[in-house]
Amino acid sequence: MIKTDCLVIGGGPAGMSVALSASQNGSKVVLVERDEVLGGILNQCIHNGFGLHYFKEELTGPEFAYRFRKMVEKDKNITVLLNTLVTKIEDQKVEVVGSVGRETIQAKAVILAMGCRERTAANISLCGTRPMGIMTAGTAQKMVNIDGKMPGKDVVILGSGDIGLIMARRLTLEGAKVHAVLEINPTSSGLRRNIMQCLEDFDIPLLYRHTIFEVVGKDRVEGVYYGQVDENYQPIQSSKKFLPCDTVVLSVGLMPEMNLASFVPVSRVTNGAIVNEYYQTSKEWLFSCGNILHVHDLVDNVALEAQQVGKFASLYAQGKLPLQSKPIEVAHTKDFGYVLPSVVYEGEGEVEVKFRLKNKVVKKTIVAKCNGVVLDKKFVLAGVPGEMLKLSINKNGAVGKIELSVE
Amino acid sequence: MSKNNVFDVLIVGGGVVGACVLNKLTRIGKKCLLIDKASDVATGASKANSGLVHAGYDPKPNTLKAKLNIRGNKLYPKLCKRLGVKLDKCGALVLGDDETQLDNLYQRGLENKVYVEKWDRKQILEKVPDLADHITCALYARDAYIVSPYFFTISVADEAVLNGAKVSLEEDLVSVEKKDDIFEVVTKKAIYYAKQIVNSAGAGYNEVAKLLKAEEYPLEFRRGEYFVFDKIKDFNVPCTLFTMPTKLGKGVLITPTIDGNFLLGPTSTESDTQTKVTSEGLDEIRNKAQLIVKNINFRNAIRQFSGVRVISGDDFVVEKSKVADGVINIAGICSPGLTSAPAIAEMVTKLLGFSLKEKENLKLLKKRVLFKELSKAKQIQLCKENKNYCSIVCKCEEITKGDVIEALNRPIKVASVDAVKRRCNAGMGRCQGGFCFTKVVAQIIKERKIAYEQVKKENRGSEVCLSDIREVNND
Repeated sequence: MIKTDCLVIGGGPAGMSVALSASQNGSKVVLVERDEVLGGILNQCIHNGFGLHYFKEELTGPEFAYRFRKMVEKDKNITVLLNTLVTKIEDQKVEVVGSVGRETIQAKAVILAMGCRERTAANISLCGTRPMGIMTAGTAQKMVNIDGKMPGKDVVILGSGDIGLIMARRLTLEGAKVHAVLEINPTSSGLRRNIMQCLEDFDIPLLYRHTIFEVVGKDRVEGVYYGQVDENYQPIQSSKKFLPCDTVVLSVGLMPEMNLASFVPVSRVTNGAIVNEYYQTSKEWLFSCGNILHVHDLVDNVALEAQQVGKFASLYAQGKLPLQSKPIEVAHTKDFGYVLPSVVYEGEGEVEVKFRLKNKVVKKTIVAKCNGVVLDKKFVLAGVPGEMLKLSINKNGAVGKIELSVE
Repeated sequence: MSKNNVFDVLIVGGGVVGACVLNKLTRIGKKCLLIDKASDVATGASKANSGLVHAGYDPKPNTLKAKLNIRGNKLYPKLCKRLGVKLDKCGALVLGDDETQLDNLYQRGLENKVYVEKWDRKQILEKVPDLADHITCALYARDAYIVSPYFFTISVADEAVLNGAKVSLEEDLVSVEKKDDIFEVVTKKAIYYAKQIVNSAGAGYNEVAKLLKAEEYPLEFRRGEYFVFDKIKDFNVPCTLFTMPTKLGKGVLITPTIDGNFLLGPTSTESDTQTKVTSEGLDEIRNKAQLIVKNINFRNAIRQFSGVRVISGDDFVVEKSKVADGVINIAGICSPGLTSAPAIAEMVTKLLGFSLKEKENLKLLKKRVLFKELSKAKQIQLCKENKNYCSIVCKCEEITKGDVIEALNRPIKVASVDAVKRRCNAGMGRCQGGFCFTKVVAQIIKERKIAYEQVKKENRGSEVCLSDIREVNND
């Protein structure tokens, strides 16, 4: 059995950042990563646009990962276990299989930092046959960027998430023809800059309120029937058209996968654990951060969040986390997708609350109130659901419930 | 043609029936060859069905279906034990709200000499707490089992190969001529000689029958769509739950699978041979699910698939051809085909003029034990002995590199991602191969010593990539 203060599950940006922070705050850390190298999904994201907030310069995914990796490797308080997968979490004991063989690791604090996974064809009940050529954008990205192989040459992309947009450009640059990006929603969840740089610059049409009705092809994708959907997302049959293609790339959302810790309550909105001010789940020794907690917009925000959580976990492991006073519920109006954390504690000081809007807002103010008293507010020129926003709330004197609203 | 090159029996079609025939004939000492156009055995209806070994209360008494179902059901436990294939004797309930209907089914069960009981709602609730409200009664069939239909078929074929049978995949039949009582079978790959031929080509039966100059039958295809659910235990389904046909039409079934998932389906729609899922089919299942158990959460569905059943009239066709001497016709093996397959093999053996007595000293297939199924102590030991077991390829199903290597080194050598999936479950979990697809491809390349471009998802034409990057010609 291996013993440690903090055990971090996942060696992507969240895991590396949380491990560094926990170590800097005085804990011995074991970092478990299932792949052969640290970095997680960043290693296959060879495009740029990372690090603008965290490092104040524009980096590629592998560069961003490299900077963190170097810091982790230098840190003598962090033991990295590569090629190692956690198979079970039970009462501060974690079962692993990997470079250490079949082992048990006991930790005072366990931090979930496994990231998320892509939603699959099954998650959207994609109709039609099941031939080769239907793949998630992440799989396509791995084939092209890591394996150096072309998954297809006539591509339709379903969903306009950021990886889908990035892959539209990537596949085009490698010689494929991307015929269209179909988005069932009236807006894209992808970043504005990606729509411009990945689609508009390459004249790739982005069709809103469109989806695939049926995939055709026995062994290989031969094409798709696609068309418009109505307000209830039901296909409008009269708009149905056939588009020949050999590949369907899916970019239909990301979701945290909490199966390893299915014993803690999970939010129906984020699919991640429900956490308090210190990012503790319902088990006080189990923390969560990064995309396993809620899918972030930028890796920079993942790293920043993990940095905070590393401190909390480290303090907890050393028995120094402030004793929890009376809880204050953090509620929100229907204008929000979600607000996180959902519980803060009475006392002095500021607490950072993260949220996503449900719909686009223009020139509005986000207000945090407690019993009618405004604690903090933030003016938003143009807010979109794709963007993660933050509000620092001074919680001095707040009791019972804090509510966020848009005014 | 030398005598050595002549097979006693050539079997066309490597579904569960063809595989069982191959296995039985090999075990009685016959020299056999099985050919299939696909890149693996069990790629048709045998891979896409409910995975049920039916008790036999359902078929009309004295039909071939009834006889073969009941005999097949009796053969399964011993056969699975020998093959090391998991069989769960979970039993089945046929749920309904009409006592008369239940009585009829019960009588049929008794006539077919199947162990059945009549249950009331209270009894059912003890076993199925989430039961739908309108259900008042059920027929309980004790001897209904669940099995992995594809892994069973693979194991049956593998065991035959281990004992000297030959399986040749990706074969396209060109012509069949009979010369001096010997069939000359020409495929695009080779010429084979055989004394007798078994046509178990399933959906392709008539195409093969034409070449054999044997009887062709009007075949009807029915598509059955299914949902596969994650292993999360939202509700408790301890056994297979069928529904009696009611005023609302024919119901669907829900069953645990041998791997711990749940299957919900099938629909039954007249179709061609395309295995596709449709929004109508999925909606039908969603609606009918509520008639079985409450609280099914479709967010936990991890896949939808469909299989096509081949139907030829009311009963199975298993017969000696009256027009083509030396040919055995097997057609229209729909449900309960999986259950009946071992019994069909016995029947075919007799039709071919052989005795059922098996040879001695036959080899036993090495039982598949996945890493995740081992005790912790054994896992620790195996990890020390072989590093491949310390490396997890598929995280959802916890399948190690060692498991994948074993899958690729079974008697029948395969080179497709789906074939690996059927042998060790890699890619069968909730992310549906999102993480492990390229890792499995890498392992196939290594074990088979082939190029990336040659690895297939399933059959010819499903190669996983086109070329290296920047080699695409898109003029």
